[in-house]
Amino acid sequence: MKLQTKINIGIISVFLILGASMAVLTFKWQNDHAIKAAENRVRLYIKAGWEIYNSKIERIQATLKVLAEDQRLRRLLHDQSDQRLLQEVVSELQVVRSEQNMDILNVLDRSGRVLLRARHPELRFDTVTDDPMIRRVIAEKQSCGGTVLLDQKRLEAEGNDLAEWCRRYSAGETAGMMTGAAVPILSNGRLIGIIQMGNLLNGSVEKVDRIRDSLFENEHYDGKPVGTATVFMGDLRISTNVLDENGRRAIGTRASPEVAEQVLRKGLPWNGRALVVNAWYLSQYVPIRDPDDRVIGMLYIGSLEKRYLDQRSRAIFMNLAMVFGGMILAMTVFFWIMRTILSPIRRLHLATRRLSKGNLTHRIEVKSRDEIGELSESFNHMTQQLLEDQLEIQESQAELERRNHELRVTNRNYMELLGFVSHELKSPLGSAILGVYSIKDGYLGPVSEAQQRILASVASSLDYLNEMIKHYLDLSRLEKGELRVNKQTVRFKEEIMAPSIQGLMPALEDKRMILQNEVPDDFLLSCDPQLMRIVFENLLSNAVKYGRVGGRIQIDAVQCGDESIWHVMNEGDGIPADKLGLLFQKFSRIDPPKNGKKGTGLGLYICKEIVEQHGGKISSESVEGEWTRFTVALPADATIQEKAQHDQNKSQDPGSG
Amino acid sequence: MTKTKAKILVVDDDVQHVDTVKTLLESVGYSVDYAYLPEKAIEKAKAAPPDLILLDVMFAGPPGPDGVETSRRIHADAELKKIPVIILSGVRKVLDLPFRLEPDDEWMPVKAFLEKPIKPDQLLSEIAKALG
Repeated sequence: MKLQTKINIGIISVFLILGASMAVLTFKWQNDHAIKAAENRVRLYIKAGWEIYNSKIERIQATLKVLAEDQRLRRLLHDQSDQRLLQEVVSELQVVRSEQNMDILNVLDRSGRVLLRARHPELRFDTVTDDPMIRRVIAEKQSCGGTVLLDQKRLEAEGNDLAEWCRRYSAGETAGMMTGAAVPILSNGRLIGIIQMGNLLNGSVEKVDRIRDSLFENEHYDGKPVGTATVFMGDLRISTNVLDENGRRAIGTRASPEVAEQVLRKGLPWNGRALVVNAWYLSQYVPIRDPDDRVIGMLYIGSLEKRYLDQRSRAIFMNLAMVFGGMILAMTVFFWIMRTILSPIRRLHLATRRLSKGNLTHRIEVKSRDEIGELSESFNHMTQQLLEDQLEIQESQAELERRNHELRVTNRNYMELLGFVSHELKSPLGSAILGVYSIKDGYLGPVSEAQQRILASVASSLDYLNEMIKHYLDLSRLEKGELRVNKQTVRFKEEIMAPSIQGLMPALEDKRMILQNEVPDDFLLSCDPQLMRIVFENLLSNAVKYGRVGGRIQIDAVQCGDESIWHVMNEGDGIPADKLGLLFQKFSRIDPPKNGKKGTGLGLYICKEIVEQHGGKISSESVEGEWTRFTVALPADATIQEKAQHDQNKSQDPGSG
Repeated sequence: MTKTKAKILVVDDDVQHVDTVKTLLESVGYSVDYAYLPEKAIEKAKAAPPDLILLDVMFAGPPGPDGVETSRRIHADAELKKIPVIILSGVRKVLDLPFRLEPDDEWMPVKAFLEKPIKPDQLLSEIAKALG
């Protein structure tokens, strides 16, 4: 794997792990946070809603306090029989009631008896001390605002139109719920009367819509109102902006028993999700208490849950998007940095590959001054050095080649000349040898002893010369490349040995040597017969020359696997061990044998050359003072190997015997 | 040998060689004639048939038959067919001539194939052998 891939994989995994954990944390945090925030929000809404619910009460109180100081009203309380004054006050209060859009505006005496009703002046003199608000004002001589429950009797007392109204908006309930205030009218600290003003909540939308509009601005989300508010009388919706399936305000429906139990019976607020008509709302219900602290109703504010959920989803999505966006940005930056760091390394790598393919001229562009830049520079330096070295080597190689060629040409010229000279020497030498021997051997008349000695010496020199010429001619042909190995499968005994033995018979007989020929008649060799004859002739003539007078010469041959091996052994002085290795070198000469004949130093070299051109090996072994043996091993061709196999099988099979 | 002197025809282009061989052979009692070229040798043999022809292989001078070719011609000639031939040549026998040129009465009159330089003992014994 490439380094960059490794780093990339590593970094991507780190980023992914980081991103994933960040995403998980963000999600969890957002989730918790969103829920908590929503709950807080709803709690805030109910507080605000409660303030709005009660804000009118204070205004009513303020108005009533102003009215309580009205002199005509005070006078009327002192003199309740003054009908004219009563009429004046009634008209004044009727103006106030309609201006303030109030359902009830009553003036009571200090015992709680109604002295005048602005709405229905004719309905008078009933006592409304059932009203906890009134009871409280009488008891404490202080103003009291809040919500009170008006039973059927009281409603009827306030006027049939109001009773009718409440029945209409209360699903058969006969009671009504009113918010308002009562203020004592005091004179020198003494209670002289009470003035009460209030609005019926049943069927009224003013309060709940104000709450909704203040808190939610009558927004809609996904076709549903974002927030709703409801006032319950008991568990009955008497004022609401929750709409039912038909789009009407869901007045006259009831709260769930669970909520009623918690809020109405236990007097505790209720928070939670509530299915309002057909959407989930985060809801809060708080109890509405009358001045006697009795729970008489509930105020509900709901906030559309979907909005929070969607907000939360959006927030989470935004966060995830930011996390991943950041990750991608970080990765991009990282990869860009990696690229800028790695690209010189890659260039270096490519350059190294080119170098290994032999391109020494390629150079790396050094762009940076950091370690990699230095490395690139070192690389360039190295390739430059290599290039110079290579050029040097090439030059010296060319020089060597040239010299070699010169040497070869010189050698060939030399060999040609040698061949020519040798050839030209041959004929005169032939007659000289014949002549000298004719005289020496006494064919031309008697020879004196001194003459005989000289003639023997001349004859020996001529023989040496002759042998030298023969070898030089062979060598000359060999080195001129005239002798090509033309392999055939030949019978060794018949085609290689016989001609040479014939030629050497006189010398053999001369030294009274015994030739022991143990080569099987059918021994085959894969060789160029003419060349192999030179080898054999050389080895045999050496054996004769260096062999002991009257000694034994043994020739034998054996087929050994894929090698055809033959030996020429002679009894004699042998060759010192330290000289054995030198035998096959050109012009190597061992100490002359005792009979004084020296060699040309070429015979064995020629043998070695020929044998090696056949792909074979020649070697020698010797025991000094006893014998010397030469071994030639030649690769056998398929025919020979087959025959050897066949022979072996035959000899192993007793049946064919 | 004194009674009927065997006549030997020496054929060689080397004057010194012819001289030496002639001297040796005459000294041991042969009658010797010579020729420097094969054509001349065949002429002489026809004019006065020798008992044996000692023949070189390679001849200098104008192109003509070599010793091998000459021995074939002798064999092919009805008059000369019976005359034994000994080849005595500077040619390296093991290298330059096919081994089949060994004496073979079936198709050639060559009795022996000798290589220069030769010692008198060997030459004389081969001649004696060839003459029977």
